Amino acid sequence: MMEWEKQLHQLSDRLCYLKDIFPGKHEEDIALLETRLGETRRKLESCTAEEAQAEMTSLEDLFFFMECKLEDKLTPMDKVRIVRHPHRICLRDILENVYDNYTEIGGQGEHTNDPAMVIARAYITRKRHGKVYHQPVLVMGHEKGHGEEFRNGGSAKPWGNAKAKHYMGVAETEGIPIHAYVFTPGGYPLEDYPGAAQQIARNIYEMAGLTVPLIAVFSEGGSGGAEAISLADKRLMFSHGYYSVISPEGAAAIEGHLRGGARASADLVERCAKDLHLTAEDNLKFGYIDKIIQEPVLGARPYHYEFFRTIRQEVIRATDEVVLAARGLAPLRAATLRRFRDRELNLDEFSVRWDLSRKARQRLVEMRQNKFIKASHRECQNRRSVMGRLGDAWSEQWWEIYNRLIYDFYHRNRRTFSNLLEEIGSEWEMLKLRAMKPWNKLRHGKVEEPAGNTEELTTLSEWEEDNHSGWAWVSPKAKEDRAVSCPYSAQRGCMDMWAPDLYNEFAGVCSSCGHHFPMEYQWVMNNCFDENSLYEFNTEVEAGNPLNFPGFDEKIAAAKKKTGLKSGCITFEARLDGVQVVVAILVGSFRGGSVGVAEGSKFVAAADRARRKRYPFIVYCHGTAGIRIQEGTHGVIQMPRCTVAVRRYIESGGLYLVLYDTKSYGGPVASFLGCAFYQFAIRSSDIGFAGPGVIKNTTGLDIPPDHHNCYKALSRGHIQGVWDRRDVRANLRQALETMGGRNLYYR
Amino acid sequence: MNKQHKVLIANRGEIAVRIIQACIKLGLDFVCVHTAEDACSGHVALARELGGERSLYRISSYHDANELLSVADHAGATAVHPGYGFFAEDFRFARRVTERERPLIFLGPSWRVIRDLGDKINTKRLARSLGVPTVPGSDRPIYDELEAEKIARSLFDFQMQQGIARPLVLVKASAGGGGMGIEEVYDIDMFRQVYRRIRNYAMRQFKDEGVLIEQRIKDFNHLEVHVLSDRTGRHPVHFGTRNCSIQSTGRQKRLEVAPGFDPSSIKYDFDAAALLDEIVMHSLNMARKVGYDSVGTWEWIVTRDGHPFLMEVNTRIQVENGVSAAISRVKGKEVDLIAEQIRTGLGEPLGYTQDDITFHGVGVEYRIIAEDPDNGFAPWVGDIDRFSWDEREWCRVHTHVPPASPEKPYTIPTEFDPNLALAIIWGKDLAEVSAHGLAFLDTLRLEGHDGKGEPLKSNVEFLKKKTERMLRF
Repeated sequence: MMEWEKQLHQLSDRLCYLKDIFPGKHEEDIALLETRLGETRRKLESCTAEEAQAEMTSLEDLFFFMECKLEDKLTPMDKVRIVRHPHRICLRDILENVYDNYTEIGGQGEHTNDPAMVIARAYITRKRHGKVYHQPVLVMGHEKGHGEEFRNGGSAKPWGNAKAKHYMGVAETEGIPIHAYVFTPGGYPLEDYPGAAQQIARNIYEMAGLTVPLIAVFSEGGSGGAEAISLADKRLMFSHGYYSVISPEGAAAIEGHLRGGARASADLVERCAKDLHLTAEDNLKFGYIDKIIQEPVLGARPYHYEFFRTIRQEVIRATDEVVLAARGLAPLRAATLRRFRDRELNLDEFSVRWDLSRKARQRLVEMRQNKFIKASHRECQNRRSVMGRLGDAWSEQWWEIYNRLIYDFYHRNRRTFSNLLEEIGSEWEMLKLRAMKPWNKLRHGKVEEPAGNTEELTTLSEWEEDNHSGWAWVSPKAKEDRAVSCPYSAQRGCMDMWAPDLYNEFAGVCSSCGHHFPMEYQWVMNNCFDENSLYEFNTEVEAGNPLNFPGFDEKIAAAKKKTGLKSGCITFEARLDGVQVVVAILVGSFRGGSVGVAEGSKFVAAADRARRKRYPFIVYCHGTAGIRIQEGTHGVIQMPRCTVAVRRYIESGGLYLVLYDTKSYGGPVASFLGCAFYQFAIRSSDIGFAGPGVIKNTTGLDIPPDHHNCYKALSRGHIQGVWDRRDVRANLRQALETMGGRNLYYR
Repeated sequence: MNKQHKVLIANRGEIAVRIIQACIKLGLDFVCVHTAEDACSGHVALARELGGERSLYRISSYHDANELLSVADHAGATAVHPGYGFFAEDFRFARRVTERERPLIFLGPSWRVIRDLGDKINTKRLARSLGVPTVPGSDRPIYDELEAEKIARSLFDFQMQQGIARPLVLVKASAGGGGMGIEEVYDIDMFRQVYRRIRNYAMRQFKDEGVLIEQRIKDFNHLEVHVLSDRTGRHPVHFGTRNCSIQSTGRQKRLEVAPGFDPSSIKYDFDAAALLDEIVMHSLNMARKVGYDSVGTWEWIVTRDGHPFLMEVNTRIQVENGVSAAISRVKGKEVDLIAEQIRTGLGEPLGYTQDDITFHGVGVEYRIIAEDPDNGFAPWVGDIDRFSWDEREWCRVHTHVPPASPEKPYTIPTEFDPNLALAIIWGKDLAEVSAHGLAFLDTLRLEGHDGKGEPLKSNVEFLKKKTERMLRF
């Protein structure tokens, strides 16, 4: 009996596992296994060794048979449960089994600033002609730790992500590849310095230009938390993993309009998991991961040693492929890699050096950026005609050439020339002065400058008054005859205001305490740029329903009807006191300002346009609730995608400025908005990673009502300033003069 | 005139009393408001007496437009009289009253006029465009330091030319008001420093760096021209001039005389009669230009050598309207300027021209206030035990203080300005009005005590002393 104890225990564990991942489902099959297990246990007490052997084999076969049967019936939600199960492999199992040696460097066990994020230096040993190579690699990832509570289930805190970013820098300095393992349900929604969103944005921005190969492996890819370490050259994914914009429960809460922590029904959650298309197959189809690593039946657990060998082969293969592609000088090896599928080639005995030359590093970054810029390209609904697109392409080329000519060639030389002229002029003046000296002496004394005469002091002067008599655009709310109370009237004693005063002349600002009431996006759009200078582009791009999320077609249609817009992002060119700028607006009233494929594509196009034309790029975030969950990973991918576009723009020497208004949360803030060097907020706006309800639900912490207020964001170091709405124009003008890189056309 | 109108009196105290009386005179219904502190005020008692309980509403603040307008709607008022202070010169209130879904008549100038004349730069530029003399200096906000210094320099030169011994230049925030963001410069070398300080202050406070630079005029008399026009705004008339130079240290008026100068009994260094005609003419010109359509006051300063400068326009009925009325007759009859304001405000034509208005004698208004003139005019707080005077035909007293006795004292509310009463004295010439004034002040009985049992302090002695100095430089 004793000799079978361990096997029996393992089978009982497997049974528990089945019960956990199929709650309330396949009960007959599981009951059968349970009965058989009990029977075997009893039999083993009395039978002979041979009988026992046979009994165990038959039981194990039955288990395997049943597991295979259930594997075929796995639903997306079952996979979510597999991924979350404490028996699932975690990062430390991978470090132990995939790499030949490793040292944890981002802390040890729980003695680290964030136990949810583990960093290790490891190496992989490869043999070639009997010679042994240790190939160093930096491993990082989320550690769920088989349910250890202090690891927060792999939810990295801002400083955990900061640690990851720091060691990315280390890897870059040392020139070693990074293997990032994503095991996170999402970022931990803390707003402590610098804020969850801000830190994730910094990480994504860092990776968008990281000059070492980066391989990401997804097991549990929960939205923003996952993106913090996964903007990779190759993204692999475990076959039973998930990669999603939001947890199925979260999506169900939104779909079911649940508030205050009410739980969605299991049915609805199951349905949402399916509709979100979060499995490995889905994501491979969309192109957001490059390869699936097949797991054992019903998901990998720590005793699946064969699986670790598979992982090892796959990450080596991925790193090799990336390195070879960037280096471009090993055609035979690259072809070999392409030709021989898994298992046909033992990569342990195939040598590729993983360090890269400077040129190769550049190419590597370029390839990575292109990969993400192109992501989700297919999903974008652009109704522009073929001729229109051809025209666009042509004009893009034209601008490229024109700017090269004008700014790189003409202006640089002109400046040299005009400087020279100026110098000569000054010399000439001096010469003239010297030569005329005797003549000037002859004239008696200096001619006194006439003092301002009395006339000037007492008669009407010339004055071109800039017409202050009102705003160009006035909110329709200003037409209602009603009094509006300031929400702070109890604390600050503000008098009620008349709507036509408040929404017109006061620009939605409480006249006594300065509280800013939310205004429509048109206010900034029409009042802060030169009149009639707006030229909208990419108007044909429409928000759609790429996942065919049930019921969402109607919702999108309703949003289009309500706002008269085709997507939640408006991109246009405008002038600000004559300076040409490219502006993108995220419209808070279009599905909460959520960002999907259409918005991301318009954003990327706008950044690209600004880069080509050397215009400043201003983003007015009128409000955003985050990534549009109904678009699933099509939405999530906009985070790295747009950030790459932004990084390209910034590195080309432009000015990227973000201005937040009303409420801005979630993915966009944690990526392409949050990574801006110049971020400002209009007073009374809220900025953060997750809203108060989500924080309460995920962390159990109660937060004060002004937790996300822009002044808090300013104190935390997230934004650089808080602006009065009435000063937006003047402040933007000031920003154009004082901020930004070297390649702005007007400099 | 349509007698169906009902006037909401959005004010308190003495002016509310007089608006009630004017409404009764015109046969109009009215509705009054008061706060809890004002429950004992005379205007409440008078409203109760003349209009009954239904004409009275208790509100929480005279500053709350929503409350006032709900009272107006509930009581069915068709017009609002703002009095002076509170909403009287608030163009937004006037605009709201006339543009809301249930519009009311604002008994005052149209909101555009209030807005335009309330803007000091606009007023100054309007004046200069009409050739009206204004204080030397800039008439637009200056943003450039060099330009500012140039103006300051020429202002110093200008004053030197005029023989002013100690020239002064004022630097003020163009968006400011009420004495905020103003500083004097007596030395051009100090100018830049002051300019920068004011500019930064203006930027912080008003979000606009614009600065005005003007001559600081000292040693002047403060004159006013009282103007009235009907809603057509085409034929404004004036009710003479007033001299309001006798003020407290905080520049609050204490004694007003009409007319503005008396060349018949006092010798001036300039032609006083011609000067009065000049400022009246300029005032009416401006009123015609803007289409002024209610009562208003053009404020002037006149230097010792007889140069007038327009200061500002008060687009409301003023406290001292009674003293102008006292010397004026329309077609030989007495005039009530508040009633005239209401009557024309409701749309009735003026019905007379300047030729129908004649002036007789001299009027003086005393503002009787519980305060201590020897101690920086500090307001006195306490109970009034006795407040009475002898009724005379040349004297009229407007007060909201109810009859008080030691048994039933009146407690002065501390929330509002401490005015107790206005006494308007008339005499056929300056000598007579002075005599009448002194006689009135001598027989005035004003007694009271504060919490410590100290007797009431008032400005009566101050007024007596100043009576001798009336209309003199």
